[in-house]
Amino acid sequence: MNIYLLQIINGVGIGMLYFLLAVGLSIVFGLLRFVNFAHGAFYLLGAYFCYQMTRWGLSFWLTLLVVPLAVGAVGWLTEKLMLRHIYATAHEFHILVTVGLALAVQELVILQWGPLGDNVAVPDLLQGVVMWGSFVYPKYRLFVIGFTAVLAVLLWYVLEGTRLGSAVRAGSESTEMVSLLGINVFRIFSLVFALGAATAALAGVLAAPIRGAEPFMGIEALGVAFVVVVVGGMGSFSGALLGGLLIGVVQSVMSTLWPEGARLMIYIAMAAVLLLRPHGLLGRKE
Amino acid sequence: MNTPILLEAIGIKKYYGKFAALGGVDLTVRANTVHSVIGPNGAGKTTLFHMLTGTTPVSAGQIMFDGHDVTHEPDYRRVQRGIARSFQVTSLFLSLSVRENLRLAAQGIAPTKAMNCWHEPEGPRSCAETVASVLTKLGLESFATVPAGNLSHGQQRRLEVGMALAARPKAIFLDEPTSGMGIDDLDDMKSFIKSLRDEHTVVLIEHNMSIVMDISDIVTVMQQGRVLAEGLPHEIRGDDRVRAAYLGNMITGGKA
Amino acid sequence: MKKNTHLFMALAVVLIMPLLMHSGSLASEVLIFGLAAMGCNLLLGFTGLLSFGQGIFFGLGSYTLALTLTRWPLPMPLALALAVVMGALGAVIVGWVAIRQKGTYFVMLTLAFAQMFYFIAYTATGLTGGDNGLLDIPRPSITAFGQTLWPLTSPWQFYGFVATIFMAAFWLLLRVSRSTFGRTLLAVRDNEVRAGAIGYNLKLLKLQAFVISGAVTGLAGALHAMMIGIAPLANADYQTSEMILVMTVIGGTGNLFASVLGSAFYLLLADWLSALWPRWLLLLGLVLMAVSLWIQRGLWGLGQTIGARILGKRGQAIVAATVPGREGEQA
Repeated sequence: MNIYLLQIINGVGIGMLYFLLAVGLSIVFGLLRFVNFAHGAFYLLGAYFCYQMTRWGLSFWLTLLVVPLAVGAVGWLTEKLMLRHIYATAHEFHILVTVGLALAVQELVILQWGPLGDNVAVPDLLQGVVMWGSFVYPKYRLFVIGFTAVLAVLLWYVLEGTRLGSAVRAGSESTEMVSLLGINVFRIFSLVFALGAATAALAGVLAAPIRGAEPFMGIEALGVAFVVVVVGGMGSFSGALLGGLLIGVVQSVMSTLWPEGARLMIYIAMAAVLLLRPHGLLGRKE
Repeated sequence: MNTPILLEAIGIKKYYGKFAALGGVDLTVRANTVHSVIGPNGAGKTTLFHMLTGTTPVSAGQIMFDGHDVTHEPDYRRVQRGIARSFQVTSLFLSLSVRENLRLAAQGIAPTKAMNCWHEPEGPRSCAETVASVLTKLGLESFATVPAGNLSHGQQRRLEVGMALAARPKAIFLDEPTSGMGIDDLDDMKSFIKSLRDEHTVVLIEHNMSIVMDISDIVTVMQQGRVLAEGLPHEIRGDDRVRAAYLGNMITGGKA
Repeated sequence: MKKNTHLFMALAVVLIMPLLMHSGSLASEVLIFGLAAMGCNLLLGFTGLLSFGQGIFFGLGSYTLALTLTRWPLPMPLALALAVVMGALGAVIVGWVAIRQKGTYFVMLTLAFAQMFYFIAYTATGLTGGDNGLLDIPRPSITAFGQTLWPLTSPWQFYGFVATIFMAAFWLLLRVSRSTFGRTLLAVRDNEVRAGAIGYNLKLLKLQAFVISGAVTGLAGALHAMMIGIAPLANADYQTSEMILVMTVIGGTGNLFASVLGSAFYLLLADWLSALWPRWLLLLGLVLMAVSLWIQRGLWGLGQTIGARILGKRGQAIVAATVPGREGEQA
């Protein structure tokens, strides 16, 4: 099979995971106006909760449902108990409190599961490859692409088609107006933050069978999420999708041409976007 | 009054996307006059100020100040030309003392001195004379060491004006300097602005008509991003178009 | 008296550490990272710029010193000076670009640059030794006319050297913080828009702050490389930038001596706890959260509040007076 075709499909798969990872970060920024440095920690928790649950013998399918809810709850509590109190202060402290949280979560993970990392088995149903003529590809990876595509449609529907989604989109333009309309803005903040944490955790669950669970994957994921969000456009759903796919495919294709350069390129892209078009490819101009 | 022209703005336009905040404004300000700009809300008065002081760049048009074309100069460069402004919404250095606020404003006209990372701004470098004179003019001497954030609203509005004065400008732009002030402060502010005319040129946005009618030399009326009428206070008062713009009931008060 | 309080406090720390601590290396580290934290504080506490890129300048300082002492052997003082220059140069480049954006976009830009520098350092193995770093950095003694004036072989001898450089740098930075420039930076931090409106070229001011920050951080990186004998890749890592930021914030922004407090707190805690409990970083994460939520003026602010309570009203005035440039601020 053509190696470039293979890498492009890989890239789409990775890109969809990147989208899922980044979309929460992007929407949180659009609404709450700050960058959540603990976002990678939610991804990390997702992967490790998945690992723990499969070790307890629970099915992978169950973890897909339960883990995002659990981590979403953690996100909800984080916003309600901590972040809400410092919205009025300088933005540096919003960032720094989440940096502290990320550090604490990472250490807690190592405390509980050790520093070395663990493997998570691919669920039985999805083991092995699909064969279609000369097209050979792992079943699980195809599942990831399909599943995240469905999720993307679901999320898009929530944002565009529901009252909650309208409130979130309106709130991204002006929280003052939204609260004047009688909507409890703080409740929406908590919900959105929880949703961001849940989607990051879901990305972690999906990624776990591919790359295992390892304590430093949170920092790595955070870096990638930043690039995707910046390139796609902070606060934009479609930007996260486009950005994710773009970065995923570029990374994947580059890994055959110039492996080290791949990571350098994405950060150069990030800087270029920040300088020339800071609102990203699909973001809204401030 | 026929003093020389200090500021000339020609065809000023400002677009925010498709929305025309200013659709072509001409303004001529003569030296040592009090030139008021009035108009209903949304007329574009503050936007015009932003264009003239360089806070925001123009979309089209030309601005000549004191013989120089300053159209594309950013705000910090125009301060050196002799333009200083106060803000409609108080914008002070809240964590710094009143004296420090004024020192910074006074230092602003020689900003290269601000790059000096060796000497403290004490003694000859502290702009003490300017600061002291502004403090006296504003009646804030006893509050010199108080952080600006601890002042009352009226005192903060006075300091706002003081920040512009400390730059010893040729033209001082005051954006609703009396907004939110109580009656006692109002009269003081009125005579204060009137007294500025001797040494400066004052361009004033105001909603308080008694002030506008009493102390202005020229009044420009704006509506929806354009100039509606311009003339002496009593002319504006009697102008039907202006009456219609204000729905007939805003131009009361004053002696003119 | 009020003017020199901070200088005396720094001197006190420098003199007390040899009396209270066993490890000369640890004491040197406190001062070295104190310098780095002060550099970070100049940007964060004085100018309001949150930079995740301090590791770039720290790394540049380490690599420059390593290269100038091993590959093209230069006299040590010259090597140190070059490291300072490289730190400043790096800051000019990063600063000039990053300053073009504000707020969150600025922060993200510094992050992007930090990542780019890390990967350049990782791949340019000819210059940086890649993953291994540059090894076998000597610690030449200070000589004049062929006579050894001051050997730097033992940890405490090296500490004396670091302490001297630290005091000189501290004094210089203190001067900068109190200068017209430093006071203008405080205005930029307080209300950037007004600072521009009253005549200040914000880009130029921020750039100068960056250059000074980069120079000091480069110096710290160089001293660090001399101390441990290696210029490791880790010095250019996100973790290093994060560590420097954490020290700065915990110590207290807006006050140079506080940065030394932050550095001491972090390193002494690490030294004490890491043997007892490998997961001591958890505690640090929690402290950072606590400071960001409740004690935003850091350890220094906490000290001021406690000092004022103990000393009563008269104490409040004394304590407030120890903060330069903030006359009238309540403790």
